[in-house]
Amino acid sequence: MADGDGLPPSTGRVIRGGSAGEAELPSVGGLAWPAARDRSQSPFAQGLRRLRKNKIALVGAGIVALLLVVAAFADVLAPRSPITADQTRTFQRPSWEYPLGTDQLGRDMLSRIIHGTRVSLVVGVSSVLLALFLGVPIGLIAGYHGGRTDTVLMRAMDLILAFPIYLLAILLMVIFTPTAGLIGAVKVTGAIAIVRIPIYARLVRGSVLSIKEKEYIEACRALGTGSSSTLIRHILPNCMAPIIVTTTLGIATSIIVEATLSFLGLGTQPPTPSWGWDLKANISFIQANAWLSLFPGLAIFVTVLGFNLFGDGLRDALDPRLK
Amino acid sequence: MSIYILRRLLGIVPTVLMITLVVFVMMRSVPGDPVVALLGDAYTEEDAIKARVAYGLDKPILVQYVIWLGRLVQGDWGTSVLSGRPVLKDVLVRLPVTLELIVLSMAVALAIAIPAAIIGAVKQNTWPDYTATTVAMIGVSIPEFFVGVLLLLAFSFGLGGLLPSSGWVYLPGTCPSMVCGVSLWGNMQHVLMPAIALGIGRAAILTRLLRTSMLEVIRTEYVTTARAKGVSERRIVLKHALKNALIPTVTVMGLQVGFLIGGAIVVETLFAMPGLGTFGIDAIFARDYQQVQGFALVTALAFVVINLLVDLTYTFLDPRIRYA
Repeated sequence: MADGDGLPPSTGRVIRGGSAGEAELPSVGGLAWPAARDRSQSPFAQGLRRLRKNKIALVGAGIVALLLVVAAFADVLAPRSPITADQTRTFQRPSWEYPLGTDQLGRDMLSRIIHGTRVSLVVGVSSVLLALFLGVPIGLIAGYHGGRTDTVLMRAMDLILAFPIYLLAILLMVIFTPTAGLIGAVKVTGAIAIVRIPIYARLVRGSVLSIKEKEYIEACRALGTGSSSTLIRHILPNCMAPIIVTTTLGIATSIIVEATLSFLGLGTQPPTPSWGWDLKANISFIQANAWLSLFPGLAIFVTVLGFNLFGDGLRDALDPRLK
Repeated sequence: MSIYILRRLLGIVPTVLMITLVVFVMMRSVPGDPVVALLGDAYTEEDAIKARVAYGLDKPILVQYVIWLGRLVQGDWGTSVLSGRPVLKDVLVRLPVTLELIVLSMAVALAIAIPAAIIGAVKQNTWPDYTATTVAMIGVSIPEFFVGVLLLLAFSFGLGGLLPSSGWVYLPGTCPSMVCGVSLWGNMQHVLMPAIALGIGRAAILTRLLRTSMLEVIRTEYVTTARAKGVSERRIVLKHALKNALIPTVTVMGLQVGFLIGGAIVVETLFAMPGLGTFGIDAIFARDYQQVQGFALVTALAFVVINLLVDLTYTFLDPRIRYA
């Protein structure tokens, strides 16, 4: 990263990229879990207890749960096919028959929005998980082994971070060539995941650097525990709190990036329903038919809001020092 | 300090080289060929070979990159295969539009974020604070293009077409040709909605961050000391709390540049503005290698230079920070 070397210590809390919530996370987590107040409960159980008391986070969790149900049962919930055009019923205003109206091809907007949930959630969640599964091991290995391994791995991460994220995501999508359907979603997932890998690698490396100096890790070494076992059983669990929070808030960011790529025509291609694409495709008609762009936009907004509220609540619950 | 700046300036070179090299290789791995688009219906294999030789596209990629770099250091950014225009000229014409958009959007962001964060922090856990944090949460969850659409619906298509929905009027003195509209008032009308669309998200992020930092600073001992000395609350907030709370905020503003560049592409596309964002995205879609290279170069330069400026701002905000 071009700006990393000169940062003063007082700004070490800031991580590059992502949503506001991510920006407020610590990049170097000493003690990843908050100090236990109640020794009879595990830190995770304490976190869950705090989360349950946070009403706003529960609203976020409710939105996320609802969206998951909509995505899973889209075929049952959608009143019509999202891709079947009906030229006799174009630009229908919202009514009982078409609660969210129809678009310029006479397709039911409600059904398109319900099916669009799938693309948004699948890409948002899987791109973050893919980045997590690739970025966390890189951070663990770089932080634990140090030396040349660390230099090589982190320079590779810096190369990705040196790019403005949208420029890289757009270029990757142009190379992958956007297509429709599942393959199209996989391509967008890959592009967003590549951009997000360094966020995890840096976060985990920072945590590992401080954790590996702790006495219990020294004890592991003294007992002759192998390095992979030490990493997975003793170091990784102590990095989990920031990883979980970054993941939840990262999904919100990924959903916005996916919608933006779709808006630019680089996401999943038609006929697969996608909120960003629908919003863009209908812009020429919004003067007379405002709902055409309003509903896909609202869908993106509510989804991102749900993940942000839940992510904020998780951060407060798992790491109260950051509240 | 000057040694530090010199070292950082030298550090820009490898970063920019790396970005431009990666973009160069990536663009040439993209399916599609600008020569096919250039020749259009008149395409013959023979003409295509001639055109590739003429534009140096027949050489190995790394050789092409070195040639591009060699010309670049002489001030030649290359010529677009498709339009035949020099890339530097196009970049210089479009740069002021995007710069104006980004600067104004940051101004919008700061104009909203600083008062909102101060109110939120000073009146913590009261309804003004809840309002500020709720609005900020909405702001971080709403994509720029949707804000843009809402603004279009409100001010261009509603309210009797108060603001223009697309196009551009240049600031006096920046018109690139004889035929463009030039007027300060017209320019303001055209840039207002895009700047708000791009600025709202940043405002929300900065409000959240600045409020949290302010809350931390307000609880420090030196603020208590200042209060004990009888310093006015206004002076404590503006001089002691805000200035110290701005340090992490400035960092995030620098880090937001990557998002601002992406946001500029989207907002310029939505409002049909003749800026660098639309230039870049059009070039990428058209596989216009030289234009994409120019776009990547200017983006990379902006990115690293702004990050350097951010680091230098720390010394102003916190004199304890010294770069050796």
